[in-house]
Amino acid sequence: MKKGLVFDIQKYCTHDGPGIRTTVFLKGCNLNCAWCHNPESIKKIIEIYFTPEKCINCGNCVAVCENGAHLIKKGKHFYSRKKCTLCLKCAGVCDSKAVECVGKEMTSNEVIKKVKEDFEFYEASGGGLTLSGGEPFSQFEFTLELLKKAHAERINTCVETNGAVEKSRLAAVLPYVDLFLYDIKDTGTKRHKYFTGAACDRILENLKFVDSKGKQTILRCLMIKGVNLTAKHLANIANIYMHLKHCKGVELLPYHPYGTSKAEKLGASRKKNTRWIPSETKLQRAKQLLLKKKVEVIE
Amino acid sequence: MEKVRRLSDFTHKLNKTALSGKWGKGLTDLEITLDGNCPQNISEELEYAYCIKLIAENASIRILPGEKIIGSATLKQSAYHKIPVMKDGKIRFPSVSHLTLGFDFALKMGYNGLLKDIEERKLKNDLDEKGSNLLNAMKMCIEAANTWHQRHVEALQELIKNSRAVEKCNYEAVLKNIEHIPEKPPSSFYEAAQSLYFMFSFQRLCGNWSGIGRIDEMLGGFLKKDLKEGKVSLSEAREILAHFWIKGCDWLGFEGSQGGSGDAMFYQNIILGGINAEGKDITNEVTYLILDVVEELKINEFPIAVRLSSKSPEKLIRRVAEVQSLGGGILAVYNEETVIKALVKFGYPLKIARSFANDGCWEILIPGKTAFIYFPIDVFLILQKTLGVAEKTTAKKYGSFEKLYGAYKKNLSIAIDSFNRIADKDFASGKPATLISLLIKDCIRKGRGYNERGARYTVFSPHAGGLQDAGNSLHVIKSLVYDKKTVKLSGLVRALKNNWEGEEQLRQHILNSMELYGNDSKPADTMVKRVLDDFLQLTGKVKERKGVLRPPGISTFGREIEWREKRKASAHGYRQETPLAINFSPTPGSDKNSITAVIKSYCFMDLKRLPNGTALDLKLHPTSVKGKNGVAALEGVLKAFVKLKGFFMHINVIDNKTLLDAQKHPEKYRGLSVRISGWSARFVTLNKEWQQMIINRTLHK
Ligand code: SF4
Ligand code: SF4
Repeated sequence: MKKGLVFDIQKYCTHDGPGIRTTVFLKGCNLNCAWCHNPESIKKIIEIYFTPEKCINCGNCVAVCENGAHLIKKGKHFYSRKKCTLCLKCAGVCDSKAVECVGKEMTSNEVIKKVKEDFEFYEASGGGLTLSGGEPFSQFEFTLELLKKAHAERINTCVETNGAVEKSRLAAVLPYVDLFLYDIKDTGTKRHKYFTGAACDRILENLKFVDSKGKQTILRCLMIKGVNLTAKHLANIANIYMHLKHCKGVELLPYHPYGTSKAEKLGASRKKNTRWIPSETKLQRAKQLLLKKKVEVIE
Repeated sequence: MEKVRRLSDFTHKLNKTALSGKWGKGLTDLEITLDGNCPQNISEELEYAYCIKLIAENASIRILPGEKIIGSATLKQSAYHKIPVMKDGKIRFPSVSHLTLGFDFALKMGYNGLLKDIEERKLKNDLDEKGSNLLNAMKMCIEAANTWHQRHVEALQELIKNSRAVEKCNYEAVLKNIEHIPEKPPSSFYEAAQSLYFMFSFQRLCGNWSGIGRIDEMLGGFLKKDLKEGKVSLSEAREILAHFWIKGCDWLGFEGSQGGSGDAMFYQNIILGGINAEGKDITNEVTYLILDVVEELKINEFPIAVRLSSKSPEKLIRRVAEVQSLGGGILAVYNEETVIKALVKFGYPLKIARSFANDGCWEILIPGKTAFIYFPIDVFLILQKTLGVAEKTTAKKYGSFEKLYGAYKKNLSIAIDSFNRIADKDFASGKPATLISLLIKDCIRKGRGYNERGARYTVFSPHAGGLQDAGNSLHVIKSLVYDKKTVKLSGLVRALKNNWEGEEQLRQHILNSMELYGNDSKPADTMVKRVLDDFLQLTGKVKERKGVLRPPGISTFGREIEWREKRKASAHGYRQETPLAINFSPTPGSDKNSITAVIKSYCFMDLKRLPNGTALDLKLHPTSVKGKNGVAALEGVLKAFVKLKGFFMHINVIDNKTLLDAQKHPEKYRGLSVRISGWSARFVTLNKEWQQMIINRTLHK
């Protein structure tokens, strides 16, 4: 069985679709959004997280690394990502998890077994499995397999997607998806391309397609001050919502620089754009704007 | 969630004053003494009755304008958990807590009915001296309660004389309401609520801290009848209950010493919902009105536990989740299916089992029929002694895991034998507790008091503490010492004796790579289950002896803090100074996955074999219960908890930021209440270590 690359499995997620859910985060993304909350999800390879605060200077990693990527000097630990070839040996010998792997290869059966552990909670709350990422479609076969198996186990399924995927792939998973958490990052074509690396036309096209097939959706809209927190974008969201038959509502998610500290541990540089954080009043105003247009806003 | 407002402005004002702690701060420090006020050379029982008489005659009476429920317990000493009467400069009798009195039958009979029972019993003419003393003393206690009632009547008459208009009308209504009760059985909902409060509050005034029990079962029938006859409306009934709840805050603000456990709400527990003796669900309007009241007034002076089952009304579960999501830890839940099964398995008749309540905390008992105490056994300390880690012990060698386990079990067995010998002797103080005995079934019939095995059920429960820590440690030892041979037992014991000093790498390895109880991980859970099963097997050998029932339970109630000293460091990676697990919750910080995983680990245990119960204490972050789906998820947690055969669970919805800020600025958080276990307390009244214990509890998102 081909394995998938999973970077986290979180139980008791209460805001990733209806009820109590287990969210499986798959590694790999086709976009590269400037505001990404999950920078560890972008590359489809296992990476190394380094958290120097956790290091107890035992030297295990230094001993095991053949490339001299770890160095401890006067009690200070230096880790060179340039020298590192991601052989992952050091993560296996670090007891304090100062170096650890981000991402784990798992079979779909292993994932489903984990997901099934909370079955009673799904039953009691109308919850189930949510696939997120990264972009689940960047591991298309694995995603399809997980969804099929979940349904075979009578587990409700949600897929969070950025929608920038091939229509044929969407069509293939449709029978096994109960609801899409569909990202609407932006509706300004140029801006979308600038900040995410892709155009938004296909995304909106796919959304219509999913809806035409009778699939339920929740629109997830990241609110970024100074980028898309505009009356025009909100009007566009309302307009999209109005034209969908099976949309359950819109979630407004304020931008938060969660991603920055995680990016640091990955050695990636990402600017902490505090100026992007929308104020509570701005958010409320956005919500009121949507409510006025009869949009169902999900808290 | 939108703020609900159903109660009147006046009631909110009354509530605000009560929550400000004004009444608790103003309790009177009255010096009541037996010296010169009681005949010489009378029996202890009668002397006790004189104490009650003196309290009733002397305690100050406080009636506020506009309040619908009256009967304040105004004495400071009572809030110290003492019968506030001295003799020769010392408190004469101890008071009683950890029980729920038979307010249900007392309410139905009225004090006059109780008197009649006493008289009839005396007519049988077969009481020994002790017995007739007891019954005479009981009569005096009732007379005292009536005196206290009469003083309220007189006070009201006086107030009416000196007031006008609305105020006067209010007083008149209250006076009219107490015309017949609590002497006679109530004839309306309002009378019933007042009668119950009088009976309850008189006990409190006399220093006894009883739970109230199943209030909705007691009052529901009255309300139903009154609603039908148009005597009262739902909103009037809600106001009455709100005033009952506000009255319950009379001691709030009292700054007495409660040890570390804060102002523990004086154990005035209340039970809602569940089935009656016939198996019918009793959830009624009173249940919902009470939930409305606590939701709106944010009063948690009466810690509430709701009995849930797979047959609970959907509406009840939803309302419980809604109220829980607001935080404050007001509501906890029992899965009554497991509780009743456990009681029946232990030997209680089914109908009796169905009427269960608690002792003012969460330990299970049959209200109005049970005298209760428990005995804590630190199971983890027994393991530490077996290993030779604990104080004054030396390292021991065990060639195999089973040899180690066998030695542990033998030591546990010795501890349980010694508990049983203690339980054979006198129960509690053996002293008179006549006012209590009056509301406990069979004391009149047997002519024996509460502390003299007069109750239908005298219960002395062995309570294991640290069972999951013992399981966690054994799991680690088995895996690392005996299976993988990563470390030698002697090396590990040395590390523990040195509080992990110099062995940080091993400690990190254990903390990061071993999954412990609370993660829905079978290896650890199976070990904990084994430790539990053996505890149950050993305690099961003596279920009853010398008229004392011994149903087991699992608890620490915060003792894990004081237990640190003897326990030393643990094999599952905790240094000595870190408190280990509370009750049957995971060791703080070891539950790394989710609240669902914690619940599954807990429910993996054979909880129906714990007739005295055990608690799971959880902490959820406010964001996880936010919005409609957050509440729906919580509802799902409650339902799954029942389905998975849980026992008792309480959830605090709170973030650590708030708690940390409250430590820094206690003045800003006077009203912030947290549920500790069976009881709640205001966070700022806890001492530092207890506060830290709450903060350390894993916060699940
Ligand atoms: S992953 Fe391999 S190459 Fe990179 S630091 Fe670790 S041991 Fe060295
Ligand atoms: S193995 Fe881990 S703890 Fe040890 S020196 Fe390397 S990073 Fe630090």
